[in-house]
Amino acid sequence: MRLNHRNARFFLGLLLPISVLFLTGCWSSKEIEELGLIAGTSLDLDTDITVTNQFITSETTGSGSRAGNTQGGSTQKAYKNVSETGKEVLPTVRNMLLKVDKRAFAEHSKVIVIGEEFASNFNLQQALDFFLREVELRPSSMLLIAKNRASDILETNEPTKIPAFQLVEMIKGHKRTSKILPPMTFAQLEGKLESNASFLVQAVVSDGDVKFSGAAVIEGKTKKLRGFLDEKEIEGITWITGKGQGGLVKSLDKETHQSIIYEVLSMKSKIIPKVNGDNISFNITIESEGRIGEQWVLSDKASDDEFIRKAEKTTEKSVEHLVEGVLEKLQQEYKTDVAGFGNRLRIEYPKVWEKVKNDWDELFSQVPIKCNVKITIKDYGTSGE
Amino acid sequence: MWEKVVSYIPNWTVFMQGFLAFLIPYIIFNVFNQLKSEKKKESQKETNPNSSQAPSEHYTGDYTLDYERIKQQIGHNWDVHFREFLLGDTGVRVAIIFLDGLSDKELIEKHIMMALMQNFTDEKYDESSFKNGEVLQEFIKNRILPISDLKEEQDIKLSATAVLTGSAALIIDGISNALILDIAKGKSRNIEEPVSEALVRGPRVGFTEILSDNTALLRKHGENSNLFIINFKVGQRSKKELIVAYIEDVADPNLVEEVKRRIQKITIDDVAESGYIEQLIEDNYLSPFPQVQSTERPDRVFAALMEGRVAILLDGTPFALVAPVTLGMLLQSPEDYYERWLPSSLIRLLRYLAASVTLFAPSLYIAFVSFHQGLIPTKLALSIMRAREGVPFPALIEALIMEVAIEILREAGLRLPKPIGPTMGIVGGLVIGEAAVQAGIVSPVLVIIVALTAISSFVIPQYNAGITLRMLRFIAMFLAALFGLYGVVIFFLFLCSHLVKLKSFGVPYLSPTVPYRAGDWKDFMVRMPLKMMKNRPRLLHTKDSTRRKD
Repeated sequence: MRLNHRNARFFLGLLLPISVLFLTGCWSSKEIEELGLIAGTSLDLDTDITVTNQFITSETTGSGSRAGNTQGGSTQKAYKNVSETGKEVLPTVRNMLLKVDKRAFAEHSKVIVIGEEFASNFNLQQALDFFLREVELRPSSMLLIAKNRASDILETNEPTKIPAFQLVEMIKGHKRTSKILPPMTFAQLEGKLESNASFLVQAVVSDGDVKFSGAAVIEGKTKKLRGFLDEKEIEGITWITGKGQGGLVKSLDKETHQSIIYEVLSMKSKIIPKVNGDNISFNITIESEGRIGEQWVLSDKASDDEFIRKAEKTTEKSVEHLVEGVLEKLQQEYKTDVAGFGNRLRIEYPKVWEKVKNDWDELFSQVPIKCNVKITIKDYGTSGE
Repeated sequence: MWEKVVSYIPNWTVFMQGFLAFLIPYIIFNVFNQLKSEKKKESQKETNPNSSQAPSEHYTGDYTLDYERIKQQIGHNWDVHFREFLLGDTGVRVAIIFLDGLSDKELIEKHIMMALMQNFTDEKYDESSFKNGEVLQEFIKNRILPISDLKEEQDIKLSATAVLTGSAALIIDGISNALILDIAKGKSRNIEEPVSEALVRGPRVGFTEILSDNTALLRKHGENSNLFIINFKVGQRSKKELIVAYIEDVADPNLVEEVKRRIQKITIDDVAESGYIEQLIEDNYLSPFPQVQSTERPDRVFAALMEGRVAILLDGTPFALVAPVTLGMLLQSPEDYYERWLPSSLIRLLRYLAASVTLFAPSLYIAFVSFHQGLIPTKLALSIMRAREGVPFPALIEALIMEVAIEILREAGLRLPKPIGPTMGIVGGLVIGEAAVQAGIVSPVLVIIVALTAISSFVIPQYNAGITLRMLRFIAMFLAALFGLYGVVIFFLFLCSHLVKLKSFGVPYLSPTVPYRAGDWKDFMVRMPLKMMKNRPRLLHTKDSTRRKD
């Protein structure tokens, strides 16, 4: 057979796509019903590390509701939690193969919950290395810190619910309240850990029902859990960072001591670092627009300009109080900067930052911070009273 | 040193793989080559003129002899009628030969025989002049027979053929010709709306089996002296009329020549339907895609002619062929132009969507369910998981069962008599879908996907294009089951590389996408307003490229 020019081109053209077929290593067919989807993982410290995976399999999914219909509230749950202990994470996870008939599949994993004990005893960069490294885990999965045992968080009394997915739905509420932090995904976590900065992670607590409660402070230097902030302090943090998209502020009317509830519509904040020689100080300017959501003061009309101005003033006071409260705790008690002051300093005074960054958390506790709040009430809803 | 070299030599499995990677394309290449060279041999054979024809016999003018000879030729046929009589009062013997059923008997009796049998002596011609054959022939032709299409034929064989196609032959004593009177009148049916290409808006006219009716439909479309209708004869044993129609001052002469050349090269004993022509003149007979458009609609044909394409009409079939064709044309409907541009464009986009659903939906399902479960949104993954619980087959087998079942249903619905067809389809579909799910053989999600695929394939206005896509869908499914999404991508690349190379009468099949012509995109995925469509498709190299002048 003669290979003329055209034939040769045809031949080579054919060779290309066919040789591609031989390059494949992706012979990984696995049927979806043979998988055990890992919805969430919890890490606890007993004597060793206890890893609990929340599996959803084709048998458990929907069985909660189905059982409820046919057997009148059977106890079969929509998920199956499997625990295993070991010294490191991956070998422990692999040991689960001995217990579970399904192939573990983590691409739908939504949340990783770390117990209080675990977080305060391990350097998170070491302990979470597997989760940051594993390709099957999405960088979009969230990190939460449990105030007691993490494996309790992945349990629920309602058999039809899947706790890991519930947590994800709940954290979406951060858009409507300033008491929940925006989710800390693994993509963000990696950056925080690498940069040695202190940061906050949403904390959860379980007493039968799972509840978000405050935040865990992770210290940048040790990468261990330093302590917790309560919801009020989270609100303060949210006001400092200005990242909130909603929320309420309660303040008391001076004369009547009745509540005025201010509902945040927008929030803006600016942290301005000031460097004077060796003295570093910060100014926080917070601006917010919102409306009166509820008011108990009977003597005044909400439509009255004077009342509005009064309400703005008291709300400003309340916000200042929130901010000062959290700053005091951060500076005095935890001595960590989790609100991004260091970051602002790095951006505006990079040379100063180079000098101070190594013991910034220490320095931060000494820095004077001034707070300036401006609240504008735009409307008072549908009631003028 | 040597050991170091040896350490870099891969082990035998690598060589084996390399060898395979070489061998498979090599074999495929060889097979293709073999097929191609066979085609070449065929075409070489075609060029050999087959000059082995029997010596022709001519009429002598001796009535008895001629009569006997033509009777020998076709007299054994039951439907050929011979009628002898005398020419008026001249006493000249005449025979009329016609075919029962094809020839118009009433016309023969009332106009031909009546005229010939009555006394027509004229003052100009006396009886003696009728003894002269020439004069008699002229007289009969000019004065007696009220027939518009009249020929003299000297060859007995050819006149016999003419009789067999419905003409009447007149043999007159003393004349060394037969007069062939074209009085063929086949049974024709009414002009109806084509079943396979029904429109909501548009003419309710379809071609029929009678060629002259069909050409008349084209002529009737509008006054146009440049509509050329050229005839050919195809078929070596049973000859058939074939018409090539084009608009002379629009169509590219090279294209017209090419179509004519390919038609002349057809050597086949019988052409049963225009599908034969389509398969004999297409560029690549290994391609799954139709390279000639077939349609029953005169308006569609005329629109194609106006774009500079060429139409081929064959006697005996309502399906006209249009060439060249592009992939975009297969997804167009004449209605796109009759309705306003916005709804038309949206519907056209919908068709493109439906075409890709037909092609990819089952394969994507397989790829996602058995390879890339992480790409399914979590909640959907959970419900698919729940649905597939207890299904004993892998996704491919599951999908194949349902896809094949629905193809069987479709084919069965087609064959069944009209009143039961749809009922069977619905019942069969419901039973198979519902019962298969109940029995746990397939999952409900798959039933949705299969139904979606089947319905989408019927959105495509060209029936044969729909079949093409349904066929390719199975290849995509196998590749998806082997390699997952990667296989689907490979399939798509293969398909693209094939389509890019495919040509229909010299026009790239994928145009105007490849080669890219921005101007032609006005009538591709969306149909721009008629005010903007000023030019004919540029790829057709039309003589007159402007459609509208402002």
